[in-house]
Amino acid sequence: MLEVKNVTKYYGNFKAVDNLSFTVKPGEIFGLLGINGAGKTTTFRMIMGLLEPTEGEITLDGKKIDYTVTDQIGFLTEERSLLTKLTVKEQVIYYGTLKGMKEEDILTKLDELLEKFEITNYKDTLIKELSKGNQQKVQFITAIINDPKLVILDEPFSGLDPFNVEMFKEAIKELASKGSIIIFSSHRMEHVELFCKKIVILLSGKSVIEGDLKDIKKKYKKKNIFIKGDIDIQELEKLDGVISVEEYGDSYLVKIENEDIVSKVFDKIKKHKNITKFELEDASLNEIFVSKVGESYEK
Amino acid sequence: MKNKFKFLTKQSLKRKVDTKWFKIVNVILCLIIICALNIDSIIKLFGGDFNENITVYVIDNIDGNVYDVFTSQIEASTSVLTSGSSNVYEIKKYDKTLEDAKSEVEENKNIIVLEFNVSNENVMEVTMLSKEYMDLTDMAILNTAINNTKVAYSIVAYNIDPEALTKIYENVEINRIFLDEEKNDTSENTEVIMTTVFPILILPFFMLSLILVQMIGGEVNDEKTTRSMEIIISNVSPETHLASKVVAGNLFVIIQGVLIGTYVILGLIVRKFIGASSITEGVGGYIVDIMDSIGNSNFIASLGYVIPLVLILLVITFVAYALLAGILASMTTNMEDFQQLQSPIVIISLAGYYLAMLAGMFKGSLFIRILSYIPFLSAILSPSLLVLGEVGVIDVIISIVIALLFVYWMIKYGIRIYKVGILNYSSKDLWKKMFKAMKNKNV
Repeated sequence: MLEVKNVTKYYGNFKAVDNLSFTVKPGEIFGLLGINGAGKTTTFRMIMGLLEPTEGEITLDGKKIDYTVTDQIGFLTEERSLLTKLTVKEQVIYYGTLKGMKEEDILTKLDELLEKFEITNYKDTLIKELSKGNQQKVQFITAIINDPKLVILDEPFSGLDPFNVEMFKEAIKELASKGSIIIFSSHRMEHVELFCKKIVILLSGKSVIEGDLKDIKKKYKKKNIFIKGDIDIQELEKLDGVISVEEYGDSYLVKIENEDIVSKVFDKIKKHKNITKFELEDASLNEIFVSKVGESYEK
Repeated sequence: MKNKFKFLTKQSLKRKVDTKWFKIVNVILCLIIICALNIDSIIKLFGGDFNENITVYVIDNIDGNVYDVFTSQIEASTSVLTSGSSNVYEIKKYDKTLEDAKSEVEENKNIIVLEFNVSNENVMEVTMLSKEYMDLTDMAILNTAINNTKVAYSIVAYNIDPEALTKIYENVEINRIFLDEEKNDTSENTEVIMTTVFPILILPFFMLSLILVQMIGGEVNDEKTTRSMEIIISNVSPETHLASKVVAGNLFVIIQGVLIGTYVILGLIVRKFIGASSITEGVGGYIVDIMDSIGNSNFIASLGYVIPLVLILLVITFVAYALLAGILASMTTNMEDFQQLQSPIVIISLAGYYLAMLAGMFKGSLFIRILSYIPFLSAILSPSLLVLGEVGVIDVIISIVIALLFVYWMIKYGIRIYKVGILNYSSKDLWKKMFKAMKNKNV
């Protein structure tokens, strides 16, 4: 289990992370979110043992993270952390050996992973000659080559086409099913919603939302109603408690202040005969994020 | 961690040595060195005016014997001045007048006419006729031969005893006396020779120190800009990482140094095989002269401890260069910044090189002696001054101790900068951050 206990990090007088705490159990995928400069990278670096917290403690299975523990951690950085002059094989051997693996074990695992990610042909190709997507696959392979107990994935879907995103999703789920602890960070909230059971949203180094994603969404009062059919938009917008009405073709998204408004909206539209859908949903994670952080995370 | 250190060192070295560019550069380097050492043979191979035989027409208007004397003198002059490497001179007695010769000279630029006439003021005078300018070697040989001819002619003309004349022309024997019993004239000669030779001998050190700085700086910068550094440093400590770079860099420099040495030996072997030219003998002879001078001096007796001391100083300085390059590179965020930051290192190295050359000119300079204790400069200056007899072994030991203390200081404080620098991607308040890191024990 990964435990981040009351961790604070100062750079001089600047507080980059402020009393952050969370735990992630084996098999869980945890979302660490925040706008640029919120303290995510500092948190990742502290988890990786690259930076020492000013206060607090980070442990993996009860042990303080140091160079005896980092062999069990896989790290996929937001930027491509690859030595572009090496071949795929050399690169994976390089990082694998630094994880304490033997070369023959690395090569066995490498063949398996190259096949899984459908890049067997590129084994002896220079990294700089690969496409962005294939470079990301190689980076992912280097992060999981050692079957890590803890995997940190910072923007894992960057540079991937939809087909490869699906491939990665499966691989991440498989890692979790095997018992790895996964910390996930992405600008794409739909990915976070899809994967993460628990999240923390950071703002200026401080946690503004944390806990089980379902609970967070449930506790968030603002809701959305999806309506399909002909409605009078202006009529709905005049209703107290309706925040906005957005049109998507023949469908409408009505954002409301709380669940009490649902019956009022329903009363207004029931007179229309061609309504084929009326569905109440929790607010999206992005909406929650925007309301808490004050700006959109999605880019 | 020990295995990871070995692995990183091996990888770092492999990334430099096991590349096609290393091989290509070394093939080029090998060819350049071999060619440089055999440049005279190459020049001759392509030919030119210097290769053509010169015909010298001698008009002897004195007594008819001058022609014979001149012929023997030109052979002697050719042999002394050029070791036989210069043009071949064909000397012909010319029975016509200078005016008659002009038409022949006009048609053939390789004909030179010398007209010897009696002079009341200067025993003899010579008129020299050629179509174009003569090269300096030809002019020197002809001048020497003409003057010697005049001397030989004068001996007979003025009835001078040849034995007496030989004594007059012989060099004065100087009996050198040194109050310092350790000094002798052979060592003095060695110093004179080494003043010229040493800057050439230390040139490879200067080159290798630059290669070292570029190699380590380039690698650290590359790992940092590709963000691979974060992955590497999450598995090995910054201390281990920097140490692997320093060791790999120094191994690379040793390999490159040995290769350069091998190319020089190869070049000399090639000289020996094609070495018909006299310059070959000249250079070879020059080296032999230097070695003889060193061998006959007291210096050879002290080589047993001087060489290890100088090697220790060189190795410590290379380590210092490597550490400095790594630390500076860790602070930069792109290759251009590193190239600018490495300029001061190049200037320091260059300063050491020039000071070593100046040391022979400014004997006993206190300023140069003080500079010889300063790390980086000491690696070039201290051995130079030692060879020149300006400093003793104890001064070299002082330079070593100072260099060691400097390396310790860089390890203690520089590693703090390195730890912060390798994870810093912003150039904002860079120096402030680095000075702060240097002061912080718990960085």
